[in-house]
Amino acid sequence: MFYSEQKKQVSTYNRRTFFLFLLKLSLFTAVGWRLYNIQILDSSKYKTLSKKNQIDLEILFPIRGKIFDRNKILIANNEKVYDLYLIPENTKSINNTLNDLSKFIDIDFTKRRKIIDLSTKVKKFEKIKIFENISWSTLEKIETNKYKLEGIFIAEDYLRIYPYKEVFSHLLGYINKPNEKELALPFIAKMPNLDIGKQGLEQSFNPELVGKAGQREIEVNSYGRIIREISKIDSVKGKEVILSIDARVQEYAINLLQSHRAGSINVINIKTGEILCMASTPTYDPNKIIKKPNTEYWETILSNTLSPLTNRSIQGLYAPGSTFKMIVAIAALKYGIINAASTHSCTGKIEFGDRVYHCWKTNGHGKMDVTNAIKESCDVFFYEISKKLGIDKIAEVAEDFGLGKIFDISMSNQKKGIVPTKKWKKTTLGESWYAGETLISGIGQGFVLTNPFQLAVMTSIIASNGKIIEPSILKRDKINFQTNEKYSKEINIIKKAMFKVVNENKGTAFKSRIDDIKFAGKTGTSQVKTISLSERESDDFRKKEQEWKNRDHALFVGYIPHDDPQYAISVIIEHGGSGASTAAPIAKQIFSYINKLDI
Amino acid sequence: MILTKIKNLNYLLIFLLILLSFIGAAGLYSAADGSYNPWASRHLIRFYVFLLMAIVISVIDIKLIYKYTYLLFIFSVLLLISVEIIGVLGKGATRWIRVFGFSIQPSELVKITIILALAKFYHDIKFENIKKISFLFFPFLILIIPFAFVVIQPDLGTSLSIIMLGAFILFVAGVRIWKFLLGIMATIISIPIFLQYIKPYQRDRIISFLNPESDPLGQGYQLIQSKIALGSGGASGKGFLQGTQSYLEYLPEKQTDFIFTLIGEEFGFLGTTFIILIFILLIAVCYFISIKCFHTFGRILVLGVASNVFIYVFMNIAMVSGLMPVVGIPLPLISYGGSVMLSIMISMGLVLNVEINYNLKKLNNA
Repeated sequence: MFYSEQKKQVSTYNRRTFFLFLLKLSLFTAVGWRLYNIQILDSSKYKTLSKKNQIDLEILFPIRGKIFDRNKILIANNEKVYDLYLIPENTKSINNTLNDLSKFIDIDFTKRRKIIDLSTKVKKFEKIKIFENISWSTLEKIETNKYKLEGIFIAEDYLRIYPYKEVFSHLLGYINKPNEKELALPFIAKMPNLDIGKQGLEQSFNPELVGKAGQREIEVNSYGRIIREISKIDSVKGKEVILSIDARVQEYAINLLQSHRAGSINVINIKTGEILCMASTPTYDPNKIIKKPNTEYWETILSNTLSPLTNRSIQGLYAPGSTFKMIVAIAALKYGIINAASTHSCTGKIEFGDRVYHCWKTNGHGKMDVTNAIKESCDVFFYEISKKLGIDKIAEVAEDFGLGKIFDISMSNQKKGIVPTKKWKKTTLGESWYAGETLISGIGQGFVLTNPFQLAVMTSIIASNGKIIEPSILKRDKINFQTNEKYSKEINIIKKAMFKVVNENKGTAFKSRIDDIKFAGKTGTSQVKTISLSERESDDFRKKEQEWKNRDHALFVGYIPHDDPQYAISVIIEHGGSGASTAAPIAKQIFSYINKLDI
Repeated sequence: MILTKIKNLNYLLIFLLILLSFIGAAGLYSAADGSYNPWASRHLIRFYVFLLMAIVISVIDIKLIYKYTYLLFIFSVLLLISVEIIGVLGKGATRWIRVFGFSIQPSELVKITIILALAKFYHDIKFENIKKISFLFFPFLILIIPFAFVVIQPDLGTSLSIIMLGAFILFVAGVRIWKFLLGIMATIISIPIFLQYIKPYQRDRIISFLNPESDPLGQGYQLIQSKIALGSGGASGKGFLQGTQSYLEYLPEKQTDFIFTLIGEEFGFLGTTFIILIFILLIAVCYFISIKCFHTFGRILVLGVASNVFIYVFMNIAMVSGLMPVVGIPLPLISYGGSVMLSIMISMGLVLNVEINYNLKKLNNA
């Protein structure tokens, strides 16, 4: 019994082993048949595929999205250019090809070395870009002699063009090759050679502007000629971006600024929060950065002590000077330090602690109420009220009006400035607050620092009776901002005063008034250098021609029309002298220009 | 004692192994543009180290191996699980574990211990019990545990080969045919469910296999290039070191999974069929040893090893010639890679061992 079981097992086992071997043999036969098909029957087909033609993979770069101003005027465009490429594998000798090529285009020794160097590093069939953006005449010559130039081919490319040159440089930035860190960004996956935005809006809107890569599989013969396209997925163009900026105003503003060494002009549409103009000088031409070689241009930019790369509108920090007085006045009215009728007498200076605080008007303004103190920019009045207010209450109101804030306008590197408080000084400087510093802050000097754009937002909030303005760099339709009712009464008083600044005799900006459409505003002169007692006693220190870098910054903020405010402005001219003489006339010119336009 | 054992080794088998490793070295030499570095030299050094190890394994007392089979199985499964745990901790799929500076792929080792465990199981049970369904439970367990861990790694090729290996062994052991049919049916039904759970890149591979044109740049690209290399080789090939596809870097993973296409390009149909014939011979030698053997343990062990080799070879060639999706299976002893070579040489050591001890009747009184 047991024996027969075992015998049965052995025979089952042998039988099945045999079958399994047969199964494996037949599977091997199937594989062998497959190989016979590929290697014998279809061999000639694969031989031609392998010998003559190679399958090449090409990433199709998307065209970068265009950027327009609010009226669809192109401010960042792409221009078709021609580049020259070399495929080392398709040349008999790179040197010979370069010799032939040098008849049509100049190749210096270092360039030649670089090309040969590069050719040893890349795969033989990979193309090397040897010339970028070649001229039409060279293109023609090379095209007609193409058959003589082994391994050389011409490809189309797009070059970013900024038709307005330096007018939009700070806003738009420029594009360049991504750096190591940027290569990890998801939107440029597969395209390490694609230029991307490096600064400004070109950078912020990279994800929208870049578009999507396409790809093409092509069969090329040994001369680099494309025989057949195997598959193609088109690239998707980058999205267009339409800005809130009006190119005409922007250009006009830059031109006005060009007559000074450095400055900034910002215009905001109060109803919509749209930024109509954000100009900063000195500026640079992004086209010259994009076109290689650019080292020389870079040198001039970097060696310029006024740092043309800085967008002063959001990165320049200045003491707001007297333009800060609106904030102090609103705070004093709000906290009952004064009412509209309260007066202080200005004798040209007050003494506080062991120091003397001067008014800009040496002989004093006499009896001043808040309206006149703003109109004539009396410093003593503001010393008096800020003394009673204390710094923390001033800071609270300043923040409600957008100072010390960073705005969601797709611009990185905004500097938020300083709205000082007692706590701020303790934590950052490790010192207690001195009462005298409150006085200095009350006229917008001392620790207070704002950027010009913040001042424009502040003015918009005042002009709109306390609307919480959310500025935008993109064109937007009407939007309803919420109103902060907290300061309605106080703003009303201040706006009347700001009207008088421009439109009444003795107002600091009276000379800059416009008669048909009236605007309101406030001048500011921000002190750069502390004036020593001896200088002050010489009495004519103001008349003396000072060295440029020691001169005061000139500021002006304002809005137009005064009765139904539409646009708010901030102007700052670095070391421009006084706000009344330098900044206010520029604001007037901008407002007059806007009035003529159909925006 | 040991010397007589070494004298009785199957030298035809050893010759075939050496021949295969030399073919591999030649292919790797060509893949490196005619250089022993980085692959060919290391390939040969590894082979001789592992051959020595195989001979050591062949002289170990088979009763000892038999005795500790299940322990070895459990140990290998634990290794596999530890890879999974390290993989989870290290955030990302991994198939490798580093032991004394060597990268070992436990899923390769586990295939050997599966064969061993199944061989021992069928050796121990009575023939009439094989037919009973209840006696299917244990083999099923031996297969499903490692399978599950390989699937979640995820390693599609190895999990597929574990299933095939199990099917071959169970078939030879005498499991009823209708149970296989049932199993095949169950597999077909579970495919749609399976497809839901595999990783996207694996689904892409299957889709690109079914329609290479759908993804000419990814998986389909590999397949097209692989076929061009094979086909352009023609009947006798372009000659040693004369392949162009591989020099142009068109061939992906030419030194591992796609080495066969490189050889096919340089040595043509003659070369490819020659390799297949050597493998058939190798498998046939194993079958003779298996048939000759007196004890079920040895029979199934050797047959399992032969099946394992077959699965590698078949899947690899089917894959590079477009008969099967690209699943990442190397060609044993020819592809570059230590883990598979180690596993193959260990199992060949076991085959040599069985042949020396083919006439033993009892294994359990060690």
